[in-house]
Amino acid sequence: MDGYAGKIAYADLSAGKVTIKPTPPDLKRQYIGGRGFGIRLLTDMVDPKIDPLGEKNVVVFAAGPLTGTGIPLGSRYEVSTISPLSGTAMSANSGGVFGWKMKKAGFDAVVVTGKAKKPVYLLLDSGKAELRDAAGLWGKTTGQVTNAITDELKDKSVRVSCIGPAGEKLVLFACIINEKTRAAGRGGAGAVMGSKNLKAIAARGDLPIKAADEEQLNVIKDRVRKKIEENGIEQALQKYGTAVLVNIINENYVLPTRNFQSAHFPAAEKVSGETMAATILKQNKGCYACIVKCGRVCEFDSEAGEGPEYEPDWAFGPDCGIDDLKAVARANNICNEYGLDAISAPTTIACLMEMAEKGYVKHPIRFGDAKGMLKLVEQIAKREDIGNELAEGSFRFATKYGHPECSMSSKRQELPAYDPRGIQGYGLATATSVRGGDHVYGYMISPEILGSPEKLDPYVTKGKAGWVKTFQDMTAAIDASGMCLFTSFALGAQDYADLLAATTGMEIDAAELLKIGERIWNLQKLYNIKRGFGRKDDTLPSRLLNEPLKEGAPSGQVWRRDEMLDEYYTLRGWDKEGTPTKEKRKELGLA
Amino acid sequence: MTNIRNRINVTVKSFATLREVMDAQIRMDLPEGATIRSLLAELTGRYEGLNELIFAAPDTLRDFINILKNGRNIHFLAGLDTPLDDRDLIALFPPVAGG
Repeated sequence: MDGYAGKIAYADLSAGKVTIKPTPPDLKRQYIGGRGFGIRLLTDMVDPKIDPLGEKNVVVFAAGPLTGTGIPLGSRYEVSTISPLSGTAMSANSGGVFGWKMKKAGFDAVVVTGKAKKPVYLLLDSGKAELRDAAGLWGKTTGQVTNAITDELKDKSVRVSCIGPAGEKLVLFACIINEKTRAAGRGGAGAVMGSKNLKAIAARGDLPIKAADEEQLNVIKDRVRKKIEENGIEQALQKYGTAVLVNIINENYVLPTRNFQSAHFPAAEKVSGETMAATILKQNKGCYACIVKCGRVCEFDSEAGEGPEYEPDWAFGPDCGIDDLKAVARANNICNEYGLDAISAPTTIACLMEMAEKGYVKHPIRFGDAKGMLKLVEQIAKREDIGNELAEGSFRFATKYGHPECSMSSKRQELPAYDPRGIQGYGLATATSVRGGDHVYGYMISPEILGSPEKLDPYVTKGKAGWVKTFQDMTAAIDASGMCLFTSFALGAQDYADLLAATTGMEIDAAELLKIGERIWNLQKLYNIKRGFGRKDDTLPSRLLNEPLKEGAPSGQVWRRDEMLDEYYTLRGWDKEGTPTKEKRKELGLA
Repeated sequence: MTNIRNRINVTVKSFATLREVMDAQIRMDLPEGATIRSLLAELTGRYEGLNELIFAAPDTLRDFINILKNGRNIHFLAGLDTPLDDRDLIALFPPVAGG
């Protein structure tokens, strides 16, 4: 055994057939699993000229070899597809239990092609896979779908990953939700499922997942567990959740506020992780095999749900000028129920708020209007009224009304909760992200704001290109392994390499791990180039390059792309246009 | 007798787990010439348990402790020797993360 389930299911929805094949050894060796599997299979199968919401797009669900092996925080799976929002070859990551269950059901990955004539769901069951009727599930929320499939199968052990009404309505940033609250959030993979009439994937089974060297793996498991338990950062995540970032980002004057018109929100404390813990938090919750448990189970009034995490907390809060934590939590719950990305939905609303205030769009919404914001979230999910236009994302919306500068996005995907003007390396990471506006494809906030693994001056551009490359490659490898990215606050490349070597039996060291990450990154980049992306797209909104911050320590600063981009391309082995050279492609084994 | 003009007043804010041992926000009256080091000495003397939370050893902050002076990390100023000015806002953070 080698940590893998050993099979990949190919579901051809047009033909109504599922074919099962062994997981190819080369794929394991070259791409590990998870994001690596997804991106390789996707880019092999899909013509770059396709419409992401057409029949020819492909969706790949893939776990990693470390998913479900009992390694602390080894729970993740990735959904890869051509994003209808950004147009990139992208992957979205989710935790919970589904990834583990997919492997217990016998599958490392599921590849979905074609389009079903009527709504279906795919059941993975102890090494077998079948398409089942989902007509009765269409229109239902993610919670309702999960309950309905569990009832239909009369099996509480089944785990469901599904779309809500937003995916059916092809909202360009519709997400995929497993176990009702865990999201493969970004890029609109939920809309791609909706375009295929695929409502859900359900998994059950109890097939063994064994490591190549169980004894050695146990030794390394103990080592990484100790590192995670003793790491102060992980302890803070447990107590206050990811929203503990609200205050530190705000006190650094880099918390985007009112659609990035400012970077400081005076009422940030009201939506902070500390306030959440003291008010609406009922208990914390972890994914499979998690010892950190950063998830938030929140209850208030007649409302119950999970989250908000830092990103939606910021986006529905400060970015919309809202300081009402309950409204933020309610909005986050609506996103989970309807299956909306809880970053793109609120930031698109923030874009509308600015445009409405400036008179670019006639609409009564204003910054700070929590009630109006909640109404808009539902309208987007249902594509009702102005929600139908907002469902296209902020870039298309703002461009339609002649003000693309109001969309705070990169490659048409909305930016997350950090202002790059005061965090130069993060700006480079998100501008060059191969899936568009993003923070988890290379989390430079860690060294530049949080001081881990060491403190880097966030205002300085020198030396950042190298850090960004390393973080991006490392993250791609972690995403391939099945580990949670939060382990990277405590673990280093050698830890992941040791875990992978003991689990898979493959020879792998820290350098090889980073090489695999670099291969995945370059594969995404090469595919994006075929879809028309180039140097012009590796940038951020004009506001961030031209309008200096006005408050606090980073006052007067803009994001300084030109001081970093050429060096970044050179370090990557790319030409001036950002295209991987022949030599680099050869080195990585990419055609 | 100390001349009032030779004193400075700074606001100190604490976050996350530090609030378990100290106030979330206090104003401190300090002699002119005070530094982050002398401020922390004052605070650790006042709040039991704070010293262990922020110092690994005398003069050495624990890993991932972040102290901001008016939004700028003291690591990029003069560290513990960073001088304080009247009406400074000092923010003390224990190790935190998210994403």
